[in-house]
Amino acid sequence: MPLELKETRLPGVGVKWSMTPASGTRVTVIQHNDGEREVYVHRRAGDEEPAVVLELHDDEARQLGALLGGAYERPKIVEELEMALGEFQIEWIKVPSGSWVNGRTLADCGFRKRTGVTVIAILRESESIAGAQPDDVILDGDTIVVVGKAGQFRQVRKLLAEGPTDGE
Amino acid sequence: MTLSELAVTIAVLGALGLVASRFGLSAIPAYLLAGIILGPNDPQLVQLVQPSEVTDFVAELGLIFLLFFLGLEFSVERLVRSGRHVGLGGAADLLVNAGLGLLVGIAAFGPTFAAVVVAACVYVSSSAIAVKALIDFRRLADDETDLVLAILLFEDIAIAAMLGFVATGGGGVATTAGVTVKALLFVGAALAASRWLGAWLGRQLARLELEFFVLAVFGFVIAMSAVAKELELSEAIGALMAGVVLSESGVREEIEQRFFSVRDVFAAFFFFAFALTIDVSRLGDVGWIVLLALAATLVGKVGVGVVAGRLGGFTARQGINAGAALVAHGEFTIILAQLAAGNAALALADRDTIVAFAGLYVLASATLGVVLMKESKRLGRLLRPAGGFE
Repeated sequence: MPLELKETRLPGVGVKWSMTPASGTRVTVIQHNDGEREVYVHRRAGDEEPAVVLELHDDEARQLGALLGGAYERPKIVEELEMALGEFQIEWIKVPSGSWVNGRTLADCGFRKRTGVTVIAILRESESIAGAQPDDVILDGDTIVVVGKAGQFRQVRKLLAEGPTDGE
Repeated sequence: MTLSELAVTIAVLGALGLVASRFGLSAIPAYLLAGIILGPNDPQLVQLVQPSEVTDFVAELGLIFLLFFLGLEFSVERLVRSGRHVGLGGAADLLVNAGLGLLVGIAAFGPTFAAVVVAACVYVSSSAIAVKALIDFRRLADDETDLVLAILLFEDIAIAAMLGFVATGGGGVATTAGVTVKALLFVGAALAASRWLGAWLGRQLARLELEFFVLAVFGFVIAMSAVAKELELSEAIGALMAGVVLSESGVREEIEQRFFSVRDVFAAFFFFAFALTIDVSRLGDVGWIVLLALAATLVGKVGVGVVAGRLGGFTARQGINAGAALVAHGEFTIILAQLAAGNAALALADRDTIVAFAGLYVLASATLGVVLMKESKRLGRLLRPAGGFE
């Protein structure tokens, strides 16, 4: 059951959302017009003074939001994670060092043909590639972002580590 | 004004502003205090800065930018969106506090135009001080804060309507009617421009390089102010409408970002220059008006908070919090007094009295208001130990 979220405009300040989770605390989020966020936690809904006040910059708030939302998308810290997309999932998979795919194009690697997944992006320290094309090259240390079904990711990891078993 | 005088002035402004902010007070009373201290009138400790063409001009720029920003934030849509509190709370506030203000004005000046100016000065609370204190005292999550901000929004719009009147009204019936027609035409033209030219203007501005973007916006604001002044309206109306035209242009946020600091610097000089003309030795003459106005403000604003709060479904304690946030008067009271000081329809002596009154009233109410806000929850618990439900 989604929480009831009350939205109020604060003219000259920003927007305020408040909710009361089952635990009985009252949580208020204020988004200032300049992008700053404040989170107020009142231990009980009727309390006058907040027990906790959190002040966050825009980027910090997004990071916290992603963390709370379970879609923490910083593969450098969390190397592999799943995100449910109905029957499909998006997964971040680190290319193991010394893998045979180093220096090969996506077409050469044949992820789709061999495992059924689609590589949608290649994350790299220097410059990441969104909307990866067949002639994009994978390098050691990259993280590939792939879309597929739950069982297929194991095959991708195996393919990266051991190379193709179909003799090509 | 020489460079070294300017340097000392800025140092004093900065130092007093910093001290005020350490005590949780707004910078506005600090800037006024700086003007009183450095100005030529009593107290004659340091008579560093004389009011001159330079200070007048810088103050005019400050006034223009304050009103330009008010105009930028103007939006009927926002007024509608911010919901049920605006109409009820705003109307109650206007009725009670402009009414009490008028009584104070009549007590001081008799039933004259000056009394109307005092009514406007006493009516309009400080959005800047209230919003800053609401953030500082962590009141944004409180439900009654919605009521406070709604009332402030209503006041902003009401005061925009009063600006031109205070600046140019009060003459004979014919001149007042003529000025009113001109003002309505000017405002109408600007609103039409905002609606049909705003987006186009925004696209042209967005295409410019940063340097020219800033220059173009600056030029537009000054030009609108100049046109309004040439039409013998007030530059305040011109600046306000420049903001309104650009509020729907799609580059509003960019303008605000680029000009925040310009506004803050010139606004500081505006309050400072205004205070140069305050003569504290006149406390004997105007002291009782200030006290009367303070009493009216305390009763009127806190009363409106409680009554409008009750009607809006808040407890009495929440109403006290809301009312306390409206006690501080600041930028608008000073702006109105400054405009009145330039209105030839008022007697010279009355203008001086209004300036001294407004300066001292803002100093007192801004300080008292912030202290009251800080303590309002404790005060509420004392007055309504049962939580205020009845």
